[in-house]
Amino acid sequence: GSTRNVDMSRSESDLVINIKKATNMEETAPKRKHVRSCIVYTWDHKSSQSFWAGMKVQPIMADEVQTFKALISIHKVLQEGHPVTIREAHAHTGWLESLTRGVAGEGLRGYGPLIREYIYFLLAKLAFHRHHPEFNGVFDYEEYISLKSINDPNEGYETITDLMTLQDQIDAFQKLVFSHFRHGVNNECRISCLVPLVQESYGIYKFITSMLRAMHQSTGDDDALAPLRDRYDGQHHRLVRFYYECSNLRYLTSLITVPKLPQDPPNLLSEEDAPPAL
Amino acid sequence: MSKVIRTVKNVTKGYSSTQVKVRNATSNDLWGPTGTEMSDIARMTFETTHEFFEIMDMLDKRLNDKGKNWRHVLKALKVLDYCLHEGSEHVVVWAKDNIYIIKTLREFQFIDEDGRDQGLNVRISAKELTSLIMDEDRLRNERKDRKAS
Repeated sequence: GSTRNVDMSRSESDLVINIKKATNMEETAPKRKHVRSCIVYTWDHKSSQSFWAGMKVQPIMADEVQTFKALISIHKVLQEGHPVTIREAHAHTGWLESLTRGVAGEGLRGYGPLIREYIYFLLAKLAFHRHHPEFNGVFDYEEYISLKSINDPNEGYETITDLMTLQDQIDAFQKLVFSHFRHGVNNECRISCLVPLVQESYGIYKFITSMLRAMHQSTGDDDALAPLRDRYDGQHHRLVRFYYECSNLRYLTSLITVPKLPQDPPNLLSEEDAPPAL
Repeated sequence: MSKVIRTVKNVTKGYSSTQVKVRNATSNDLWGPTGTEMSDIARMTFETTHEFFEIMDMLDKRLNDKGKNWRHVLKALKVLDYCLHEGSEHVVVWAKDNIYIIKTLREFQFIDEDGRDQGLNVRISAKELTSLIMDEDRLRNERKDRKAS
């Protein structure tokens, strides 16, 4: 922000400390205050270069918990940081990919599969954003996107298909996370990666709902859109289940509002029942 | 006791009377900010640019304070909300420019020694303030209504 009084000289060294603390070895969620500082940094400086540079000098590959916390932090910064963050992230996909080599098999504390799946998801997310630069990190609903697809139904069709593919990847990842909960521990570190996943899946859901409605209205071709409606209904049911399981995790519900979707998918051929706000 | 220390700090750190006003309204005291304090601050946002920035810089500092000082954060949100309704137009511009400061507080966390979730009220206030700032029409109407009454 131009009107904020930021001490630019101090904020750089603060950033490194924040990254270090967000990705320390403690098996907890990355502390929100440190992740928040990274996010705020990208807005103050309209750049994420120092964030990436700071990440790369941390010894996050040495420990699976550290790697996992780094991935959560990166995901949050991609979602909430200045839009330039996503554009600049494309230059770091090779490094992200290299993190898969840090942990073999299950890993001592069972984070191996989660790390690999998280990286796979983040790379898919970045690929999506490269093809569709008009979306922001959390897929905030913006009316103009659905208007855009009215002008070009073909482009809308492809965009929705790509969004649905990303939604399927979130679903596969969250299932893996739930299946890796351990008994007798609080699982906070694992649960904390569900926070950005709930937010992202709901943003995508709202987008798809609005875009599909707009396309049904503009094309009037209900038959051509039938495959998308079927896929939409399937995803709706899986999301209901995902959010239901999340609503039983106290740590998660204390932090964010888990959306409550109706049991049945909304009617895409009508304009009623807009999705509730998060 | 904290009040005495604050008074000493106000003197030794050389805070201006405007800054002291904001600091007192957003302190760790169990009460406040009072209506008088908030209307004084809102009124001061109409004065010189210098005073306006002193107010916003101090609120900014409070908004970015650490978890233990969650009352600073909560009260700063309250004062900002008040100023958005009754303060100068500059406050609206400032809030829009720096909305990420408030947006990112929607996940604010602090659990005190007794296990109480003191972050909850900050999260709720940040959520409400974010949606107010993003809703141009609502903000305009609410500002108009306050002026009329």
